[in-house]
Amino acid sequence: MRVEVYNALMARHASRRSVLRGLASTAAVAAMGPSVLAAMSPEAKAQAELRKEILAIPGVGKGSPTDADWQKVGELCLGATKASVAEGEFAGVELTFMGLNNQNLHNFLFRGFLKPWEAYTGAKINWIDLAQADYNARLQQSIATGTVDFDILEMGAPFEGDTAGKGLLDEMPDWVKTQIEADDLVGYLQPPVGTWGGKTYRITIDGDCHTFAYRKDYFGEGAIGGAEVPKTWQQVNAVSKALVGKTDPLTGQPAHGYLDPLKGWGGFGFYFVANRAAAYVKHPDDKAWLFDADTMKPRVNNPGWVQAFQDVLDLIATPGAYPADQINADPGTTAFSQFLAGTGSMLMWWGDVGSSARTSDTSVVGDVAAFGINPGSERRYNSAAGAWEETANEAPVMAYIGWGIYVTSRVSGDEKKRKAAWSAAAHLGGKDISLWTAAYPSGFQPYRNSHFNFDEWEAAGYDRAYVEDYLGSNADSYNHPNAAIEPRIPGIFQYYSVAEDELAKGYAGQYKSAQETADAIAAAWEKLTDQIGRDSQIALYKASLGM
Amino acid sequence: MTPTPTPLNYGETTPERQRLGGMVTWGATALLAIVALYQTLFAAGITASGFSSWRPVLYAYGAWGVALGVAQVVAHGEQGKRALFILPAVLFTVAMVIFPTLFGFYIALTDWNLASQDGMKFNGLANFWQMLADPFFWNALGNMVFYVAMVLVEYVIAFGLALLLNAQIRARKFFRVAFLLPLMLSPVAVSWMIGKSMMEVRFGPLANFLKWLGVDSPSFFGDPWIAKLSIQAMDAWTFIPFMMIMLLAGLQALPKDVTEAAQVDGANAWQTFWGVTFPLMIPVSITAIILRIIFKLKIADIIINVTSGGPGGATDSVTSFIFREYRDRSNVGYGTMMAMTYLILIIVFITLLLKLVNRWRRNLT
Repeated sequence: MRVEVYNALMARHASRRSVLRGLASTAAVAAMGPSVLAAMSPEAKAQAELRKEILAIPGVGKGSPTDADWQKVGELCLGATKASVAEGEFAGVELTFMGLNNQNLHNFLFRGFLKPWEAYTGAKINWIDLAQADYNARLQQSIATGTVDFDILEMGAPFEGDTAGKGLLDEMPDWVKTQIEADDLVGYLQPPVGTWGGKTYRITIDGDCHTFAYRKDYFGEGAIGGAEVPKTWQQVNAVSKALVGKTDPLTGQPAHGYLDPLKGWGGFGFYFVANRAAAYVKHPDDKAWLFDADTMKPRVNNPGWVQAFQDVLDLIATPGAYPADQINADPGTTAFSQFLAGTGSMLMWWGDVGSSARTSDTSVVGDVAAFGINPGSERRYNSAAGAWEETANEAPVMAYIGWGIYVTSRVSGDEKKRKAAWSAAAHLGGKDISLWTAAYPSGFQPYRNSHFNFDEWEAAGYDRAYVEDYLGSNADSYNHPNAAIEPRIPGIFQYYSVAEDELAKGYAGQYKSAQETADAIAAAWEKLTDQIGRDSQIALYKASLGM
Repeated sequence: MTPTPTPLNYGETTPERQRLGGMVTWGATALLAIVALYQTLFAAGITASGFSSWRPVLYAYGAWGVALGVAQVVAHGEQGKRALFILPAVLFTVAMVIFPTLFGFYIALTDWNLASQDGMKFNGLANFWQMLADPFFWNALGNMVFYVAMVLVEYVIAFGLALLLNAQIRARKFFRVAFLLPLMLSPVAVSWMIGKSMMEVRFGPLANFLKWLGVDSPSFFGDPWIAKLSIQAMDAWTFIPFMMIMLLAGLQALPKDVTEAAQVDGANAWQTFWGVTFPLMIPVSITAIILRIIFKLKIADIIINVTSGGPGGATDSVTSFIFREYRDRSNVGYGTMMAMTYLILIIVFITLLLKLVNRWRRNLT
């Protein structure tokens, strides 16, 4: 379903369920109608067959995919490359690819996907694998010391200010835009994301947002968490407190509510308290929510943010609300060691928890996991007016804006190498290969309109209701009119990292109040803005929000 | 008539050779200075032309080193050849230790955030004043006092184990190897195997054992002091074998006749230990403790992996805080200032410690 259509339906107050029902019906009619089938071009039929074939590799419930599977998928998706590159055209070209090795995904997949591409084109790729925690430092050091030693880069949009803003990236050629079918990207990933100064630099391979995952067995008539799934953060906290002393229906262990990660995660942990805060502070009339756009004055100590910190402190002060040792739980722990392993009932995380719940060997919650968008709030804080408004608010956080593949300006002077680099990147960002990465453990979540064709997922072996729920939460978040977009400003993770340090002190009771904790973060952010350069930060902050 | 033996020729040093040697030295020095100046001016943005990297300056330094060696031989003959034994090591140390240290001191005096659009800016002692007002730094330094003080506890345990392994016990060789095993493990492996697996609150065997003993929700890293002690315990477990093996070597080197004489004089085991063994072991003990303190002052990997300094900075060490300032916040100037200050603090602390220990030993004798 196209985003414009979806938005139009939303504007007519259609619920997501009714939209999905309508979509399913349409798909069913399309599947049955001979006239529709006859209308499909041979190319479209071939593509549909291809997508069906790759989704069966290895098949849902057949264990985690292996390198052989990744190579097979890469081989099957080489069609677009073959159309634009002659066999052996890049013989003698060597490229260096820098990316991540999180959970043995990312670069591990890319290697497999690109092996057939290397065999066909004759190019050779050298790999730089980085742990997530080392990524920022490695990238920043390369930039600052003028030692960019990679031609292709896996990078998140928040770093575009650091790279594109300093002229380190190569502009995407038009043929790449055509090959990757860039107009299939969901709305929020369309420009200005991926662009800088009006030029496009990014091949999107991921669409990031945080969604709400919860346990169905905790909610419903007679369930321990109450009849209704919490829809606001106020309700989330109330349920988390009410669950103290109850028993988890799945594991028989103590029941718990929402799983806040209370330990830092190299800056990434700040996203999670931002989920709570966004519901309070992301006002529909204002794109900014972290800083005042005209001055870069932090908003992190306004009453809305302070309320978010207070919510966490309230749960810390409630014995048994969190699992033991939660103060030492980072987001990796809350998602993989706790929620997927059956501890706790509510979680905010990126969308890949949805596919991991069903396809990961270590998950025990595949049958009871359900999804929604970031809980809202019963009231919201209006920063412009400096006052609370007694109006309900929702604001899904587009945390990290997804991974992309970028080509560095190292190749700009060598046309053959440049084409090779963009061809490799385009292969990884192709429409068909992306369906596979959205469906199987990859570290990436759905990011194209075409990913929301539930028939394809059902054919791959997913339970229809589950996939509608999981994908629907992603689509609803991406297309939410009040989505909180992350600013793509230099040093954004420095802001988050220093906030994590101050929050850790606040959570440990070293500050007197949530307000004092928030004031400490704001002071640190002011210092950081002055150090990086206030005027340039203001300009880049506005540009990144499209203001 | 016996001919007068010709004196051994250690090499002729004529005024011409000395002049030639001086010319080679000054010529190579001038070349190095010109290349370095050329690149420095370019890097500083004062001139428009320069090399694409600093590599030519490195090559010029290498050439200067070779020329310096040649000049020594030309100018001073055999004496110059002797200089060749030490010159490469000196030049290597200058390049790999002294220059980076001096450069580090310079970076410490700059405002250098890698995300900054303006790059590196000299800011004098601003980083130092910032550090003095930084509660995270002082908290980490306070934690280091605790960690270093715990070395004495580790020493007592290590001494006990060394005495045990020095005694005539069964399977002594097996125990010597077994007790050394923790030292062979990387602290990173210890962090994951012990800190994040065995001590994991939900499924960790240690947590389950405590539950079996009746502890309701055993958490090794939730309370500030328990977390500090847990980190200390893991670090101690890894490095006690290091002290133990040094002390064991010392015990084995002790002259047997002294202890035998004490026993003949009627001293019991306790009196023999305090009157003979322990005093004789003081030099080895001091070496073991000083080396262990130096190791301890660098503690970071276990903290970074297990607690990230938490809860609320309770387990943070200076090194783990510097690591966060560098890695997560790319704050190179400030991070380097803390690292350099810490280096000086360590040097001063160890020097004072050695002086105090020496004075104490003099008073003993």
